[in-house]
Amino acid sequence: MMENRHIRLWQLINPTLPIGAFAYSQAQEYAVEIGWVRDETTALDWIQGLLEQVISTTEVPILVRCYAAARERDWPAFATWNKTILAMRESSELYLEDIQLGAAMLRVFPSMGIQPNHALTEGNLSYIASFAYACANWEIDLRMAAEGFLWMWSETQAAAAIKLVPLGQSAGQRILSVLSECIATSAEHGLLCTDDDIGMLAPGFAMSSAQHEIQYSRLFRS
Amino acid sequence: MGLAAGKALTGWRAHLSLGFSDDGHRTILSHRKHLGPLVIQKPFYPEGEPCHIYLLHPPGGVVGGDQLRLDVDVNVKAHALLTTPAASKFYRSNETTAFLEQLFKVAPNATLEWLPQETILFADSHVSMQTRIQLEDNASFIGWELICLGRPASGEKYVLGNCRQRFSIWRNASPLLIETTRLHGSAAVLNQKWGLQGANVMGTCIAVNADKTTLKAVRDADIKIADGKFTSTLINDVLICRVLAMQAEPARNAFIQAWRIIRPLLLKRQASMPRIWST
Repeated sequence: MMENRHIRLWQLINPTLPIGAFAYSQAQEYAVEIGWVRDETTALDWIQGLLEQVISTTEVPILVRCYAAARERDWPAFATWNKTILAMRESSELYLEDIQLGAAMLRVFPSMGIQPNHALTEGNLSYIASFAYACANWEIDLRMAAEGFLWMWSETQAAAAIKLVPLGQSAGQRILSVLSECIATSAEHGLLCTDDDIGMLAPGFAMSSAQHEIQYSRLFRS
Repeated sequence: MGLAAGKALTGWRAHLSLGFSDDGHRTILSHRKHLGPLVIQKPFYPEGEPCHIYLLHPPGGVVGGDQLRLDVDVNVKAHALLTTPAASKFYRSNETTAFLEQLFKVAPNATLEWLPQETILFADSHVSMQTRIQLEDNASFIGWELICLGRPASGEKYVLGNCRQRFSIWRNASPLLIETTRLHGSAAVLNQKWGLQGANVMGTCIAVNADKTTLKAVRDADIKIADGKFTSTLINDVLICRVLAMQAEPARNAFIQAWRIIRPLLLKRQASMPRIWST
């Protein structure tokens, strides 16, 4: 059984997981609207920069801490790190996306055979905390879980670029090929992050997301 | 802690601690203790009860090895407005870090406004800054922090420098907002579209106890910055405005404009412009 645990990870990071992660562009839609992202190169700059600098130092270290807390059944620590990442959300829509995905994960847990602990249902749950809980529940290797999460994030962003810029399917694959080369180091970076180094404000990303909230015509959710 | 005042080889160790209390008529500076070159001017009262304070940073700027600490307690029902008459400057240092730590505690029904001028990070400065706003129940806060990279007016680019800033606001034991800014002279974040987009100035302005009316008022004002950008958003009851700009002045003016809209709505007081801003 032990060697099959990573297969459960595939289920967690698959686009068919019915939580609606693909309904969000995470600020990319406004970045396209205003021309910051306009072709394959600028789409890659946007996605790769966020992956390496922001997601790797925000979601990954919180995954590490929530995973450890869930393994040790230290629910106060789990709650603290969940609150920490929610306080790091840069805009209303990024905050709402995070808690809506967290709530959706809780809804699919029973069909995946996961029993949520009370710590998950008291107050808002972030997506990464719910993901950490599932990975801890299945004893998925932590590094693999971090890489899987970053892959899923990259895939969602590349899919958004294909729709928004728009880009062809081959351009999408070229972007994913570059991103896949960055995932191992980004995961490593996040795994090594100290408490003081968690989080990274990316002003253009934060502001793009705030502007997306009032963007007139949109394909993606707020 | 054993902080020794004076300019030793390790740099300045400065510590200023201030307490504000309501004496039934107005807010008084009930506690003041300082060590080293972090001082204040005499409190004054341009608008009745609230106490306005000008905070002076070391006149020669801050260099590597310096350690500055500011502790401010705003007690029950008191209202303090703190600003600085000039930009704070962090100078070039040979890879030695300068530390600035600021802790503001705001008691129930008390109000703090933290409206400093920008912090200028000179090329090759090494800086670690931490600002923590600790609010108890029903405490109010409006404030901002602005970072200016290099000296755009004299053409000095921010190169080789290193800065880490953490700005956090807490309501009792829960964090409302945590922002970590990490910059260094050659970092992608300085020029990429997801980052500073080549801007020299970045800043965040926060108001707590805000609601959709506050957000709408700020958005309706359509605050604009030449060569820059201003945005606003509301997470729960925290209003967050951000700027990117090429110069400090338009960024500061955008925040002042937002503050003039927010203040009457949240604090039921017209904005009383500190005179020092118009000089």
